[in-house]
Amino acid sequence: MQPTSFKTMFRATAVLALLLAATGPLQAQTRAETLRYVTGASVNTLDPNIPGATRESFALSLSTYDRLVSFGRKQLNGKWVFDLDKITGELAESFDVSPDGLKITFRLRKDAKFQDGSPVTAEDVKWSLDRAVTAPVLGKNQLLTGSLTSADQFKVIDPHTFEVTLPKPDKLALPNLAVVYPIIINSKLAKAHATAEDPWALAWLKENTAGSGAYVIESFKPGEQVIVKRNEAWNRGTTDKAAFFKRIIIQSVPEPATRANLVERGDADLVIDLQASDVQSLEAKAKLKVISTPQYNAVTFVSMNNQIPPFDNVNVRRAVAFALPYDDMFKAALFGRGAPLFGATWEAGKPPNGGYPIPQPVKVDLDKAREYLKAAGLPEGFATTFSFNVGQASTAEPMAALVKESLAKIGIKVDIQKLPDAQMSTQINEKKLPFFTEGIVAWLPSTDYFYRNFYIGNQRWNYSSINNPELTAIAQEARFEPDKAKYEEAGLKLNAIHFSEMPQIPLWQPNQDAVMAPSLEGYTYQFHRQVDYRDLSRK
Amino acid sequence: MNQQQVIGRTVRGTLGATMARAGRRFLSSLPALFGVLVFTFLLMRVLPGDPAVFFASGPNASKEDVELIRKQMGLDKSMPEQLALYLYDVGRGNLGRSMMTGQSVTKDLRERLPASLELTFTALLIALVSAIPLGVLAALKPGSIIDHGVRLFCALGVCVPTFVSGLLLIYVFYYLLGLAPDPTGRVDVFTSLPPSRTGFLMIDFLLAGDIEGWWAALKQLILPAMSMALFVIAPLARITRASMLVSLGSDFVRTARSVGLSRRHVVVTYALRNAILPVITIAGIVFSTMLGANVLVEKVFSWPGVASYALDALLSSDYAPVQGFVLLMASLFVLVNLTVDVCYGIADPRVSIE
Amino acid sequence: MTSTALRHSIWILRGNPLTGVAAAGVLSLIFIAIFGPWIVPYDPIASNVSQALLPPSAEHLAGTDQLGRDVFSRLIVAARLDLAIAVSAVSLSFVLGAVVGSFCGYAAGRLDRTVGRFVDVMMAFPLFVLAMAMVAALGNRVENIIIATAVINLPFYIRFARAEVNVRRNLGWVEAARSSGESHISVVLRFLLPNILPAMAVQMSLNLGWAILNAAGLSFIGLGVKPPTPEWGIMVAEGARFISTGRWWLVAFPGLALMLAVLCFNLLGDGMRDILDPRMRT
Repeated sequence: MQPTSFKTMFRATAVLALLLAATGPLQAQTRAETLRYVTGASVNTLDPNIPGATRESFALSLSTYDRLVSFGRKQLNGKWVFDLDKITGELAESFDVSPDGLKITFRLRKDAKFQDGSPVTAEDVKWSLDRAVTAPVLGKNQLLTGSLTSADQFKVIDPHTFEVTLPKPDKLALPNLAVVYPIIINSKLAKAHATAEDPWALAWLKENTAGSGAYVIESFKPGEQVIVKRNEAWNRGTTDKAAFFKRIIIQSVPEPATRANLVERGDADLVIDLQASDVQSLEAKAKLKVISTPQYNAVTFVSMNNQIPPFDNVNVRRAVAFALPYDDMFKAALFGRGAPLFGATWEAGKPPNGGYPIPQPVKVDLDKAREYLKAAGLPEGFATTFSFNVGQASTAEPMAALVKESLAKIGIKVDIQKLPDAQMSTQINEKKLPFFTEGIVAWLPSTDYFYRNFYIGNQRWNYSSINNPELTAIAQEARFEPDKAKYEEAGLKLNAIHFSEMPQIPLWQPNQDAVMAPSLEGYTYQFHRQVDYRDLSRK
Repeated sequence: MNQQQVIGRTVRGTLGATMARAGRRFLSSLPALFGVLVFTFLLMRVLPGDPAVFFASGPNASKEDVELIRKQMGLDKSMPEQLALYLYDVGRGNLGRSMMTGQSVTKDLRERLPASLELTFTALLIALVSAIPLGVLAALKPGSIIDHGVRLFCALGVCVPTFVSGLLLIYVFYYLLGLAPDPTGRVDVFTSLPPSRTGFLMIDFLLAGDIEGWWAALKQLILPAMSMALFVIAPLARITRASMLVSLGSDFVRTARSVGLSRRHVVVTYALRNAILPVITIAGIVFSTMLGANVLVEKVFSWPGVASYALDALLSSDYAPVQGFVLLMASLFVLVNLTVDVCYGIADPRVSIE
Repeated sequence: MTSTALRHSIWILRGNPLTGVAAAGVLSLIFIAIFGPWIVPYDPIASNVSQALLPPSAEHLAGTDQLGRDVFSRLIVAARLDLAIAVSAVSLSFVLGAVVGSFCGYAAGRLDRTVGRFVDVMMAFPLFVLAMAMVAALGNRVENIIIATAVINLPFYIRFARAEVNVRRNLGWVEAARSSGESHISVVLRFLLPNILPAMAVQMSLNLGWAILNAAGLSFIGLGVKPPTPEWGIMVAEGARFISTGRWWLVAFPGLALMLAVLCFNLLGDGMRDILDPRMRT
């Protein structure tokens, strides 16, 4: 008896040892082929079109769905960023724009298949784009900016040819088909889950995917984590082969300091939403790769409501513009991590170019500020509140303290208001805040786009509530201006109006600080300010 | 009828009576639950944030989008109508939909509650295991240096905010020493989850026979449970000490001592057993307050529990999850109190629940 | 009489030196709260960005923060606000709780049951979440933090006062007061309430520390006092962000201040309980 049991034990041990030896390297290999991405927010829907979708959901959808076209990338100051002017085919093998600019014809890839194996056809494209412009989804208002408003504009020519008709030439039509919303959905699969009340299968697609994208959902726990695995058949990437990582884990870690610890210890591979102070110290340690790209399609403002006294007086707004402690704010709140939009010198007081945003010729000059206050008839100053949202506290809180301190010197008494995010957006929407800090972002950054969306109309994104007929007219006209020189001229005019009216004060373009394992390569700053997981590989 | 039967019947009788009393007590707590329901509903509507505006925050969200979300959330109706609809839905077991996660609140809570319960149970266990010996030690020599030491230790535990102790524990045990696993939830992402039977990972892993997974899940539990436990050791140790003092001074302990039973035997079998009832009561209270109060610990340790869920929802004015969470907590509170009462009734038939 | 009480206190203090230390701690806290603004070396809210995030030195005893403000000065000045928040929150719930609770305990019957139901509703609430919701709803001003803290404490005081009065309502001296023609209100306010005050005062002292921690918790999730006002809770919460970068002084010193204050209140409360009622000593 005894020898047998000894033998069994020996055998078991040997098997165990073998197993261990075998699983060791295997596990290490899977880890190298796995990307672990941690973020403070979370994915809340698998369809980016659902109202309320988070930015993380947008990022995920780029990997799970394909679009007709996608943006190329370019180098900006030595860093890879998306390129609005280089549109390449994704599901489209090629595309032509007619000479009059009114028709865009797409020829679809013949080898493209949805994740369930069925081929991608022009019918699917038609259904998907119809959905984006007719269903109650987020895509509707976005595609509008590219003159894509009705299902009549989309036509199936043959199973692999698809045509888009425009009412007039619009340079944003094509780029709009590359943004997050116009995903191409497996229409047969989606229709099977549509109901009479929900003909576009919104409910089903929120929790399921029916795409042809580079990654397949493996598990989805809203608010916690999403795990995706590689779609081996996918070949729409820039290198015409499947994506690099076999598996991607997208995890929510609410505490920013913990995210910094995770990436520093090598447990996470990539994180983009760290606090500026953590990035600074990680960069100093030089153990990790830090790629900092100024968010060149985003701007942080100090905004004033131009309709609420005393900010309805342009001289008050100018006084504030010359009383903000720009350098201190940039250094203390942002740790200098961004591109400043202050302290420029404009030759003869004229804007140097027609781009947006451009650095403003403002700096702290308290005497000048006092003069403006006097001109406004408020030499003694006034009292107001300065608001920011809790979600931005790590930068906005020190900023607010500095604003308060500096404005006190010219007699403006500031009371700081820290609002939970939902309250802040509500009050901005209702135009109740006189003085606050907020940011904007444009997926398709062009001068007219910025001015049309952020300086016109009684809507939420017009933070300053400016209502300037001249600015409105120039911006609307510039939208369809095909001539580059004329467009630039319009931009110059707009920038000049902006400076003289000073509706709000652009501060800076904060950095997107991507902190990653040194082995990661291919990181590109994307229009939606998230990571496109398909860009990444490990060396 | 022999004596055995008589005793049996009495016990059964008291048990029945206890159950009947518990039932009555449960019924009488229903109005409180209803009050919680209505009060939370109103409180959430008083919040100045408009969830529709918040969630329509895409770069091109328009007024239409806001209206759309408002309609989805039922906010376009009048307040009494909304309340009536809400009560009707709750009556059918539907707690509404969370805008934040895009799921039904019932589903979210069902998935997240085990995480919170597991954490709280573990923390309570750690607290009890350390508090009872501490309390007993202090009671054995009141006024001694040990007594003061215990007192100081307990006071120290309650004077550090849980989020600070949590962050420090992470910094030391994860970042500096590398002893603890990464604080990213209930289990290491590379460990495959066991089939979900109870939702409690510690149990599910055991049922699946996956010891390695069990160990991984336990390691994740230790730090957050410790930071929670630190905070509740004090009340538990205090009550143990107090009831031990009473119990040690009582006649039966003196009798037990005088007949020459060993000191250990007297303390553990006689004194402690009699002193344990008040400790159970306090443990019940501690448990239910902990469930609601572990918001910050869950946040710090990225624990996917119900409290951090409610916190996020509150900050984004997502009504349904907060309402659901409060209702759940209130129900648990009632349930825990009932359990304590029943335990009490069984342990000591003389106690009336009323 | 007084000398007996004094001697009793001294005897207790000798048996429990911690109480003495705690009392001294609370006294110095009060001293700092009153005279703090005059004894600090720097202006607690004046920024100096070129001196940001300096570690502790002879010049800045507790280092400087993100805006170059002197952490030590901020700590000292914050004592007043923190003490004010704690004391007013606890007093508010104490006064309300004692009055409501005593009437309930005295009257019993329907009033008692109604209030009892109300208290049940409140007890069943997850209290920290209730405080969060209240501050979010009312706006994060100091008054509202105080109100929220007071409200979530209220049910405990009501229960406590009710129970204490309930055991006394049929005692001889209460009967005597009633039969000598005192009105019910007068019996409660002039006889019963003063009688339960000492026991409640102990509760209050234990609660002060908790109130400070509660405010700190609110700060951590962004619902604390407004910047740039110095307050320990918000300093700890902000400092916690810097733990990962090794700027320990930003969390350690405010954390220590918070800890010491809470510790003193708790130990003092404990000690007071001994003095008042040696049998309840726990």
